Amino acid sequence: MATLLHLIQAEWLKLTRRPLIWLLYGTFVVLLLITFAALLFVVLLHDGAIGGVAVQVLNDNQINQFRQELRFPGVFGALLGQINSIGGILAMILAAGVIGNEYSWGTLRVQLARQPQRGYYLIAKLLTLLLILLVGMLLVILAGGLFTLIAGWLLGNLGRVSAGDLGLLLLGMLRALYVMLPYVLFVVAASIIGRSVLAGVAGGLIFLTLDGGAGTLSFLSQTDNPIVRGIYNLLLQPNISRLVAQHRQSFGTDPTAVTGLDLSTLPPTWQAIIVIGVYSIVFAGYAYVSFTRRDIVGAS
Amino acid sequence: MSTEWAIEFHALTRRFGQHTAVDALSLRVPRSSVFGFLGPNGAGKTTTIAMLLGLVRPTSGHITIFGHDVQRTPTTALQRVGAMIEYPAFFPYLSGYDNLRVLARADGIAQPHARIQQVLALVDLAARSKDRFKTYSQGMKQRLGIAAALLNQPDLIVLDEPTNGLDPAGTVEMRELIRTLASEGRTIFMSSHLLHEVEQVCDQVAIIKQGKLIASGKVTELLHRGQGLLVQVTDQAEAAVALLGKLDWVNSVRHEGLTLLIDAPHERAAEINALLTRNDILVAEIRTREASLEAFFLQVTEQP
Ligand SMILES: Nc1ncnc2c1ncn2[C@@H]1O[C@H](COP(=O)(O)OP(=O)(O)O)[C@@H](O)[C@H]1O
Ligand SMILES: [Mg+2]
Repeated sequence: MATLLHLIQAEWLKLTRRPLIWLLYGTFVVLLLITFAALLFVVLLHDGAIGGVAVQVLNDNQINQFRQELRFPGVFGALLGQINSIGGILAMILAAGVIGNEYSWGTLRVQLARQPQRGYYLIAKLLTLLLILLVGMLLVILAGGLFTLIAGWLLGNLGRVSAGDLGLLLLGMLRALYVMLPYVLFVVAASIIGRSVLAGVAGGLIFLTLDGGAGTLSFLSQTDNPIVRGIYNLLLQPNISRLVAQHRQSFGTDPTAVTGLDLSTLPPTWQAIIVIGVYSIVFAGYAYVSFTRRDIVGAS
Repeated sequence: MSTEWAIEFHALTRRFGQHTAVDALSLRVPRSSVFGFLGPNGAGKTTTIAMLLGLVRPTSGHITIFGHDVQRTPTTALQRVGAMIEYPAFFPYLSGYDNLRVLARADGIAQPHARIQQVLALVDLAARSKDRFKTYSQGMKQRLGIAAALLNQPDLIVLDEPTNGLDPAGTVEMRELIRTLASEGRTIFMSSHLLHEVEQVCDQVAIIKQGKLIASGKVTELLHRGQGLLVQVTDQAEAAVALLGKLDWVNSVRHEGLTLLIDAPHERAAEINALLTRNDILVAEIRTREASLEAFFLQVTEQP
């Protein structure tokens, strides 16, 4: 236990000092602000607040949705949604860097020669990675919150935040982290198996492609055949969609307003939690076995 | 303190597919010795050291460090070991000081600051310790590698080609550093493909080639006793090698054409002659070789 704690402290120092992380978080904040600025722009256009003429590119329902996402607490749902889209991809890059570079720099063997309990090392690394992802979420939420103060002022409605909302936000962050797990763990496994950042990134891209491909099969969820539907709902996509939809739902906004998602065909929450958990455990197990059994042969 | 040996390799073997990188290596490294592990490039030095450090799994055989089995009880076995394998590896974006801080944290070292300052001073890096690792010269990197190896007060220091890539001045500094470490009674196990490196700092040496142990012993003995015997036979060189290889006072024997190259004490020449003659192998000439370690090394490691 003491070993694990020491390793986490070491990982924390390594991670928090790493420029890559702050670069990725900075990128995220910039992308986020651009997205929000676009929302604000569309709403202001709609209202005729820019140029004096109302330009209505979206229907009232959608504009109303945007309005809610530009004030408290609706903004939290939107932010959590962003965390699970852009943020998920950045988290995958981060995971590939965090694991893969230890191979390419040769630092992995140095550390494992000092402390040969590889399982502890991997667990410490993963826990610290999750911790730093939570820190990243907080930063993004903070930046989004500040922007909302401005947007809310411009639109004349700041909304308000209750203690319950903060509780929901915390729950939402944990949910967002859980949704990221299978993706991050897949990249971790790929980086370990390929002993490089590149393998992790490539693995992540393949995974995202397959995952997106599964999304295009969503018509399968519409069939009346319960077996086909059942099988489709064991894929990661629909289960992820179920949990991600809850980000907005829990703050009273409608996750289907802009995306056209059909919530009625998605698997129930309990199933989503189990399926995502099973995928995560499989990927983590694969990473663990590979990491603890194989030779550590540094840079090749 | 259970044994007089710092390291024992027992019939250590590692194959990569068809290729045998380390071949039934048995070797004992005495406590408090400065032990040179010598061999040409590709001889299997790094693979051996990687197995010693639990990074690579042996195909067969085993290793103990101060009596503790590396494979079965890695944490205990490696607790008192500090190592630098192949090249100094650190986080490029961290300073030398912070790199050591990472390692000290993982080791759970109490009072890390004091200890880090101590080792940095020892390797003469204190002045540049706040600069990032990636800005260091090769010599500084190697010295930081040594500092990292020393951080946890090890009894055994394992250095894989510590002078690799250093300029002459850096090489001299490194040699002096190794001597300093050795004078404190620790065991040092260092590999090299350069004989004079080993000759100048080590008191014991083992030579490997293609994964096999070819010779081992005290440097002074290998250097001055001139163990080499050259025996010219008229035929049956293979048979002669087989015959002589069975003798326990023959360290190694091989042949080049009809010349037998025997690593054995000079005073055994008459016995060799008698044995071969008894077995109907005619000896045309026996010469002793006042082989320096250098000549010996070249002789045993040159391509067959
Ligand atoms: N991971 C590996 N896969 C395949 N062959 C390897 C691997 N590591 C080392 N070898 C081979 O094993 C032999 C010994 O290598 P090494 O231990 O690095 O030698 P040295 O350190 O003495 O130069 C070489 O022929 C090398 O190509
Ligand atoms: Mg080597």
